Amino acid sequence: MGFDMGHKDRRKFIKLGLYSSAGVLVGSFYAFSKREISPELKKYEDLLKFDWGFIVDTTRCIGCGACVRACKIENDVPDTYFRTWVERYEINNKEIVRVDSPEGAIESFKSNNYSDDIVKAFFVPKLCNHCYNSACTQVCPVGATFHSPDGVVLIDKEHCVGCGYCVQACPYGCRYINHEKGTADKCTLCYHRISKGESPACVNACPRNARVFGNLKDPKSQIRKILHQRRYGLLKPDLGTNPKCYYIGLDLEVK
Amino acid sequence: MKDKSHIFFIFSIIFGLIIIAQIADWLLKPASFDKFGHYRWNAVGEIQSQKIVNQNIKVCRECHKDIYQIHEKDAHYNVPCVDCHGAGNLHVAFHKGGKGAKNISVKQAVLKKEYNLEGCLYCHRKLAARPSDFPQIDVEQHFKFLNVTDQKTKCTDCHNPHEPIFLLTDVRNSRLHPIVYKCNDCHNKPVKSSYSDVPNHPKIFECKDCHAEIVNDFSQRPHHNYVECRTCHLFHKENETIGRIYKNGNAKFCLLCHEKKSFKSETYPPKIEWPSHISKIGYIKNGDEKTCLNCHSNQIHKMVLGNGKSPHKGNWRKEHKNFAFNKTTNKMNSSCSLCHQKDFCSSCHKLEMPHPGDFAEVHKDMIQKKGKTLCYNCHGRQFCAACHE
Repeated sequence: MGFDMGHKDRRKFIKLGLYSSAGVLVGSFYAFSKREISPELKKYEDLLKFDWGFIVDTTRCIGCGACVRACKIENDVPDTYFRTWVERYEINNKEIVRVDSPEGAIESFKSNNYSDDIVKAFFVPKLCNHCYNSACTQVCPVGATFHSPDGVVLIDKEHCVGCGYCVQACPYGCRYINHEKGTADKCTLCYHRISKGESPACVNACPRNARVFGNLKDPKSQIRKILHQRRYGLLKPDLGTNPKCYYIGLDLEVK
Repeated sequence: MKDKSHIFFIFSIIFGLIIIAQIADWLLKPASFDKFGHYRWNAVGEIQSQKIVNQNIKVCRECHKDIYQIHEKDAHYNVPCVDCHGAGNLHVAFHKGGKGAKNISVKQAVLKKEYNLEGCLYCHRKLAARPSDFPQIDVEQHFKFLNVTDQKTKCTDCHNPHEPIFLLTDVRNSRLHPIVYKCNDCHNKPVKSSYSDVPNHPKIFECKDCHAEIVNDFSQRPHHNYVECRTCHLFHKENETIGRIYKNGNAKFCLLCHEKKSFKSETYPPKIEWPSHISKIGYIKNGDEKTCLNCHSNQIHKMVLGNGKSPHKGNWRKEHKNFAFNKTTNKMNSSCSLCHQKDFCSSCHKLEMPHPGDFAEVHKDMIQKKGKTLCYNCHGRQFCAACHE
């Protein structure tokens, strides 16, 4: 008897528990879920007409750091982090390569690293490559980083949990954790600017036209013209990330 | 049949869980997720709505047309306003008025204007990694050259950053060097007319602006009607000799026009057989580094070394001879090497001076072979007299 009663009680108890927990879940979902309405500034179909690409002409770069300063102000990048930075490569007559980028070259470069025996030296500006097969978007556990329809790798700041997987996955070191916001952060090709027809802040600031930005889907665009005329390279092409940032005059030393 | 109830119970639990999962998915998944892919479509709109900070030069142009017009005609035409004056979003918002203008103080709206040396040196400091065709300044040397004593002197004390090339010189109206800049650097379509026919066109540097003496002299020589300065003085772009005019009268270069070839017209320009031309002269051995200019310099223009300024001042040849003569004790055996390094003369003159090593033996024979009795058939009229009176 006692066993039967206990059996029924347990069943009742489990049933009650299940129903109540389900009810609490449903209720809390209702309470916490946000039905937001976001401004859709451009339609999906319009964005499909673009595939934004980037060219860096290392033969023209003078390492002034104007791009780094412009990016910092434009996107409110925290100190010691950079969305774009300029690297300097110096090779001396003993074939020793030195690479440096003091503070991302935000204050440009102060002096040469070698006293006088430099045989080759050049600047390489770097930024997110917006790869076609990007490693960073594949590892995100919550789907907070993605390819926009116009080919830019973006981060959903609302959705990102700041786990840092993508920071480790990026072979080019282009991502960082923004500790103020607790999310990952990276170059967006100034998505707010390009969607309004402006060029990215770094392209706008470059005094030497070393950075070219344009639509790869438009056969008449300047970027396509340059890619047809000049010889270019990619950073770490062997990784198969298929980057979309093309470097003109790239040296073998650059990685 | 008794056992059916518990199967029904299990299935109902699974079904219930699926429904709960579906509801959870519907509720927990943010709106617009998976609309066009595995991401929140609204995030795209949110990122798009970020405010623009760095202003385009077109925005600046709306108000500062006067400065823009000066700026676009000078060497800094490619440097956008934001590089020196700061992002300018507050400045524009403040002066345009509108909703946000009230929250901006006058102080915030002021653009950056004052510059120390460092601001200019971001771009113009001399660094090995900078492309050699980009103007770079070693401040220490620059100040030393100009006798600047106050080390805090700013670049802007002399250079106007809006028109940096317009210094207080005679060439202040000139701007572009014809060898460095080509018309199509600025013009998209091929240019038919000369820049001098266009009113208000920025003036272009011409050779005669600086090298008037040589250009005048050249205009009286036979080459004048057929070649330009640029034909011979090639400008090496994109390498370490940038900024230097190619002025080595290499024989191969002259032979491009003056060598006799079956496919060339016989009449003009005058042609020679090569290499039999030098073997006729006899005195030049094959592989010798004699250039055409050693004999034919009077065909072209006065050969003055070093930017129109000869390192030898005044009547140097005569004076130096006397000076050297008095300095040495053994007057019969005096030679340059007593005072100078062995290659002192040849470092500029490309041949041993004052006479090539084999001069005494060969020069006489050569003149005999050529059948020329006057020195100035090959040399300028004052050439020998400058030393020999």
